[in-house]
Amino acid sequence: MAGSIRESGFAERTPALPAATAAPRAERRWIVLRRAARARLAPVGAAVVLLAVLAAVLAPLLSPHNPLTQNLGNTLARPDRIHPLGTDNVGRDVLSRVIWGTRISLVAGFASVTMALVAGSLLGLLAGYWGGRADSLVMRLMDAVLSFPPLVLALALGAVLGAGLTGVLIALSVVYTPAFARLMRGQVLSIKSRDYVEAARALGASGWRIAGRHVLPNAAAAIVVQAGLSVAFAILAEASLSFLGLGIQPPAASWGSMINAGRGYLQQAPWIVFGPGAALFVTVVGLNFVGDALRDALDPRARF
Amino acid sequence: MWQLILHRMVATIPVLFLVSAGVFMLIHLTPGDPIDAMMAESVDAGVKETLRRDLGLDRPLALQYAHWMGRILQGDLGQSIRNREPVIENVGRRIRPSLQLAALAMAISLVVAFPIGILSAARRNSPLDGAGSLFSLFGICMPNFLLALLLIFFFGVTLRWLPISGYTDPFEEPLAGLRSLALPAITLGLALAAVIMRTLRSSMLEALAEDYVRTARAKGVSEWRVIGGHVLRNALIPVVTVMGLQLGTLIGGAVITEYVFALPGVGRLVVDAVFARDYPLVQGVVLLIAVGYIVSNLIVDLLYGWIDPRIRIR
Amino acid sequence: MPSNRARSSSRAVSRRAFLRLSALAAGGLAPLTAPGARRAWGQAAPKKGGTLRVGFYVEAATMDPHLSGSKVDRQVYHNIYEPLVTLDNKLGLRPGLAESWQQPDAKTIVFKLRQGVKFHDGTDFNAEAAKFNFNRMKTEPKSVRKGELANVESVDVVDAYTIRLHLRRPDAALLATLTDRAGMMVSPKVIQEKGAELERNARGAGTGPFQFVEWVKDAHLILRRNDAYWNKSGGPYLEQIRYRPIPDDTVKLQSLQTGEIDVMDYVQPRDVAAVKADRNVVVVDVPSLADFAYQLNHTRPPFNVKALRQALAYAVDLEQIVKGVWLNVGVPANGPIPPTSWAYDSSIPFIKRDLAKAKAKLAEGGKPGGFSFTVTTNNIPINIQEAEVIQAQLAEAGIAMKVKLVDSATLLSDGNSKNYEMISYQWSGRPDPDGNTYQFYKTSSGVSLNWSGISNPQIDAILDKTRETPRQADRKKLFSELVRLLQDELPMLFIVHPIEPKAFSPRVQGYDPVPDGMMRFREVWLK
Repeated sequence: MAGSIRESGFAERTPALPAATAAPRAERRWIVLRRAARARLAPVGAAVVLLAVLAAVLAPLLSPHNPLTQNLGNTLARPDRIHPLGTDNVGRDVLSRVIWGTRISLVAGFASVTMALVAGSLLGLLAGYWGGRADSLVMRLMDAVLSFPPLVLALALGAVLGAGLTGVLIALSVVYTPAFARLMRGQVLSIKSRDYVEAARALGASGWRIAGRHVLPNAAAAIVVQAGLSVAFAILAEASLSFLGLGIQPPAASWGSMINAGRGYLQQAPWIVFGPGAALFVTVVGLNFVGDALRDALDPRARF
Repeated sequence: MWQLILHRMVATIPVLFLVSAGVFMLIHLTPGDPIDAMMAESVDAGVKETLRRDLGLDRPLALQYAHWMGRILQGDLGQSIRNREPVIENVGRRIRPSLQLAALAMAISLVVAFPIGILSAARRNSPLDGAGSLFSLFGICMPNFLLALLLIFFFGVTLRWLPISGYTDPFEEPLAGLRSLALPAITLGLALAAVIMRTLRSSMLEALAEDYVRTARAKGVSEWRVIGGHVLRNALIPVVTVMGLQLGTLIGGAVITEYVFALPGVGRLVVDAVFARDYPLVQGVVLLIAVGYIVSNLIVDLLYGWIDPRIRIR
Repeated sequence: MPSNRARSSSRAVSRRAFLRLSALAAGGLAPLTAPGARRAWGQAAPKKGGTLRVGFYVEAATMDPHLSGSKVDRQVYHNIYEPLVTLDNKLGLRPGLAESWQQPDAKTIVFKLRQGVKFHDGTDFNAEAAKFNFNRMKTEPKSVRKGELANVESVDVVDAYTIRLHLRRPDAALLATLTDRAGMMVSPKVIQEKGAELERNARGAGTGPFQFVEWVKDAHLILRRNDAYWNKSGGPYLEQIRYRPIPDDTVKLQSLQTGEIDVMDYVQPRDVAAVKADRNVVVVDVPSLADFAYQLNHTRPPFNVKALRQALAYAVDLEQIVKGVWLNVGVPANGPIPPTSWAYDSSIPFIKRDLAKAKAKLAEGGKPGGFSFTVTTNNIPINIQEAEVIQAQLAEAGIAMKVKLVDSATLLSDGNSKNYEMISYQWSGRPDPDGNTYQFYKTSSGVSLNWSGISNPQIDAILDKTRETPRQADRKKLFSELVRLLQDELPMLFIVHPIEPKAFSPRVQGYDPVPDGMMRFREVWLK
């Protein structure tokens, strides 16, 4: 759900479904058509993401002005040739700030998901491999994280660590960890009982080896899909958290904090909200396309 | 089924224990304390110390935690430091608007998502399907607070059709109450509708691909009877999942909506409590939210088993 | 001024003066309204009835004025409770529940209480009730008024309607303190019967023009007209007042513009121009008593060095801040005393920006190349904007300022424990200049509002003298001296004295703004 920190949670429940909904035969025609439609969108999504990454990396070159330069004599100016997206409440160029804001938003999204991926996968691996008490403990811990209201977690962490980006990143990675943990654990459990694994262990292969050679490659697909979808939500979540005052510290700005700061000027100068708002929306849409395309390509279960 | 419920309840005890430890530690780590926050303009150190002692805030943390847990096991969630009312009463007062908002948002989302989802699946790759996909994309990718701002601007200020702030209880004044909840419910409902529509569409398409559908079509059963009769029911499972999970997070998670529309709900209660460092209130409400989430998960799992006898969660 | 009269004559107030005073008090604030403002409200006769819907930025905390620590509570209190002494719209002291007072000597005040006043629960207001209130404020464990009444040693009942306060030391500021919560009278019967419940339910507790009906937290607080109000001339007219907390500024303004509320307690500077142009809304500029500043920590680097503090002051451009951030909804501050106060000295200029002097002071302080520090400030839009502007201004002098945004609880904690270098401090202000100065600059050990840790014997001496000197003209000279010292020692970097614009629907008539920012609705009626 857009704006809520956690995504729909559907990904977490998918492991429970396959046995029931595995359709033995399907209309090939429909699958191909569908894939074709998606395929049209995927490049668009990829292009958008690439554009965003470029904007983030090349920000110093791309932005027409210094995003921090104030000009109190020219505040809330309408978009024109000099300031294509106008100026904000202290006269800074909105377009430059949006371009520089790409860095923050992308970092927030990718860094938190990466941390969640690493932490979650490790935990899932350990839980699945060791089983028994350890498994129980890890899974209960993941349940506890899932039932903890994410906003409270982010607020409290923000107060403890200071309101900067660090707190937000840690909060987001904590919130997204359970999904990866469950995925990984599911993979480990399904592979653990396979014959060739038993054989390998009988031959003396270590747990890490088995993990590396068998578990990870199979899990990779599902994890990449999950990661792709999570990044979009993480970026939206960072924007939501900045609404409550958490995240990047001034004078730097993320899209979310720009929207929040510009909220009060919506009637006088809507461009300072729509500039970053559009950037946010387009980037998230692009990431969604990419995530969907990944899911179609890699996850055999989801065919639609 | 009762075995399942019992088993689940036992399994959740360690989870709740972890949540309680987590929230206690977290909120006590935040700088500042409730007495300072309450008496910001006062210089009287003596009064503050007396208050702290009365509330037991000067004792070691481990002891405070043990004391709090002990009271919980007796069913006492403690008292809010700010208004000295029991936590349960505070929550009870605020749960109504939250539940009403969640219910209304859910209703709106179903009313919007079901027709669009079914039609999209039935008329796939048509312009209608495209429009539906566009709508769902919009709903998923649009930041919640931005949507709220836009809705307020158009419906509240420009058109003046709906009130933009405040809460009236629909059970006391039905029309005024519904109107006061309309804009926030639409904000939440549209985002929810997007997710549900997507899920419904994809699960319907899967169900439509099944063999029995081909058979029914070959037998000449009309398309709508096929959909309504069999496909829909089978397609409901993932949709119910999503709805259940969303409901679980809606109650404590609609904070931004509650803030922007000035609704006295549970989300705002807990966030304000965090800002005021009202330890018992934060701890109590977080526990209750966790319980709510767990219960909604349990209900979803039970519904699974009921809808599709093939799935029995062990 | 009553205080002058009290000192120059040890006799009781002359009969004629007394009658004049009573007439003024009885007539409410109407005769004191500036003619211009009166005309703006129209000459129609007040109508009874109607519900006034008021939007506030935050919820009230408690209905017990003795236990209250927050500003929003006071807004409601000034309509249901009454203090012994009230303020007119020029911040002059006027009789409230006390008809008159005199000071036989510097350490005694005798109040003659108004007769025929009843609390909303029907009990009489009299000397016993007043004494009960003072005792409660001084002895109740959770009382927040102890500091304000620290100088009151004891209260005697002289007769049924006269009380005598014995002070520990002469305190020229005490009367002004009694115009707010410290002077508000609560029904002893309600306190005894309700106890802690008073915090949520103030039914029957006050004597004011309105009485408490109900309070549903975070939803609404309702007051109803007190038809048995003792002052029969003028209002109250409104049938009901309904307070609603609306935390979001923009939504609050939009609620007013769409007619969902009738009154808004504060218009953000960024909205003022647009709102003034809106013909559906009436804006009243209320110059306030507030002073917004940043406290500088004298107990740790870099601001333990006076020259560096002064460098900071020269590097900041107050005019640009007031113009660019506050949009001229306020004036640059020369010190803690606002222009609305009698003690304000317009001959002392605010510190003007001077980069050359700033650089010189940097060198003097041993940091010719500049230095860096962190400012701790509240996480609200206008604070962020101000911090960003100051950041840019300081950078031009070579001073690098980092911004740390925190929530209020953390701000208070950091300030109280002196865990900061520069910290934002926005004081809502008090009618007597003592309230804007004493507790901030007097040397104190332990936790206090003296967050800067300043300890200057000269300042301490002046502060004490302002309390002991009864004549206003003399006190004014002392405060001027104080301000000059403060500009030199810089416990705080003073920024602005804000104006607090309030906005109303055009139906609202009869509002008379008092600089303390409190909205008193007695004379208000709806067209």
